[in-house]
Amino acid sequence: MSALPSPPGPVDPAFAEGATVVLGDASVWFGPKVALTDVSCSFGPGVTGLLGPNGAGKTTLMRAICGLLPLNLGTVRVGGLDPRTRREAQRSLALVPEEDASPGTLSARELVRYTAAMHGVRDRGAPERALAAVDLVGEADRRLAEFSKGMRQRAKVAAALVGEPSILVLDEPLNGADPVQRVALIELFRRLGDEGRTVIVSSHVLHEVERLAGRQIVLVRGRLAAAGDHHAIRSAIADRPRRVLLRSSDPRRLAAALVGVEAVTGVGVEGGDVIVSSLRAVDLARALPGLARGAGVRLLEVRPLDDSLESAFRELVR
Amino acid sequence: MTAPAAERALPKPFVAAFVYALRLCVPPKRAVLLALPCVGALLFGLLAHTVDDPTPVGRFTSIIGPLFGLILPLACLVVGDAVLGAEVRAGTFGLTWLSPVPFSTIVLARWSAGWVVAAAALTPALALSAIIAGVPEAVGVLALATVAGTAAYLALFVFIGATFRRAAWWSLAIVLLGERLLGRVLVGIAQLSPQWLATMVYAGLGPHGYQVERSGMPTGGAAVGRLALLTVVFVVLAVRMIRRSRPTGGGE
Repeated sequence: MSALPSPPGPVDPAFAEGATVVLGDASVWFGPKVALTDVSCSFGPGVTGLLGPNGAGKTTLMRAICGLLPLNLGTVRVGGLDPRTRREAQRSLALVPEEDASPGTLSARELVRYTAAMHGVRDRGAPERALAAVDLVGEADRRLAEFSKGMRQRAKVAAALVGEPSILVLDEPLNGADPVQRVALIELFRRLGDEGRTVIVSSHVLHEVERLAGRQIVLVRGRLAAAGDHHAIRSAIADRPRRVLLRSSDPRRLAAALVGVEAVTGVGVEGGDVIVSSLRAVDLARALPGLARGAGVRLLEVRPLDDSLESAFRELVR
Repeated sequence: MTAPAAERALPKPFVAAFVYALRLCVPPKRAVLLALPCVGALLFGLLAHTVDDPTPVGRFTSIIGPLFGLILPLACLVVGDAVLGAEVRAGTFGLTWLSPVPFSTIVLARWSAGWVVAAAALTPALALSAIIAGVPEAVGVLALATVAGTAAYLALFVFIGATFRRAAWWSLAIVLLGERLLGRVLVGIAQLSPQWLATMVYAGLGPHGYQVERSGMPTGGAAVGRLALLTVVFVVLAVRMIRRSRPTGGGE
């Protein structure tokens, strides 16, 4: 497949070099619900992580890339082709959907052989190699309905690999996999990326994507929130204000002591707990033990109130 | 000795899609649903003996309406919904959609698999009903009308499956409200109705067929031709609609 030229001008981290998948102002809505808003980005050879909390629009974006969903506005091109209208675009594409999108009555081998046949694969050994790549040869004749979630995921990955696609779209592919299989799948996806394939992997688990992908794209509420390598994403998340709950032996004395701390932007006492706001959570964490000791207060609990990845992502689009 | 599954050559896309659809058509629940109208056809054959008519042919002709107006569409609906509509609803159609195979090949494979299943189930059932009713000479024309009728119905239901998410309800509404109710009073609708046209095949070619003949409708070979034309039109429409479909089973 020929690579598309990258957009001119200053380097935008949302756009990849030698892009094979390009989205331009892509918007999708379902009735009153907006799933994607003006998303412009591209994906090139190597592994790209698609990060975002649940409902961020990752699945919609992946479906749009594969042509399963029409865009309401904007464009998506796969190797220069519209995947919705040009069937030949599907030759280079493969999707591993998050949901169970395969009939449970099929065995893993039947699923992989069916996918191979539909992609015009003539090499009769290809299905077995694909099953071997996900360590499923021994279980391949069992029905998918009898599989665990992790095994079904692996069967779907095998089906995606059998056509030797140059673009792999993997929607939460590690869901349900046990730790050993998780490591094996991450290794497999990285190898596929190293081979020069475009691998797009979605996840809502930041550290998982960091292990997988050098480049990440963050979606929040259907918008492109951040793009770049994992350092850029980490620092974007770290710079946001945080709220921390402190439970202590004397909340009022602790609150008074916290007022003078530079890293603190706000202090309040709510129901016996101290709620602290800070733009520099790391500095606050370092200062807190000494401060409590100096004030003669015993710390019972320190708990971030908004430290879920979802809240971190949401800060990125404020 | 057959080769193990792992060593068998991979089929062509049409064959793969055809075999896949054949497997979808006959899961146990669908097989039971399909068996019900077939058993119904045999019961109608028995019921024919209770009709007040001096000849077996006359008695049998009185059940032609229910055979083609009830048994034929219901059996075809069970199969037609299975080959596409049910898969679209379940979200498993994406597996087939995400392939470079042209939509026309996919639709033809689905339609032909459904047609084979429906015709293979219904033709013997309707032929047996004629034999049970004591009119074996009607078997040939019943088979012809059934094969042509199932072809058109399967194309219609594949089209509906490609168009509407609640394909089974739409199919039922079209059969019962459109064809049965409106088709009974409006000949223009009956001329486009597989069940009325299948009845007219019998009217033109079957023993005592004149008893079910309807003015303004093609009969015999002309009705077969009309059914074939309808089949082609519905298949073409299904291809157009499947292009626009969202085979995802639901929004995010």
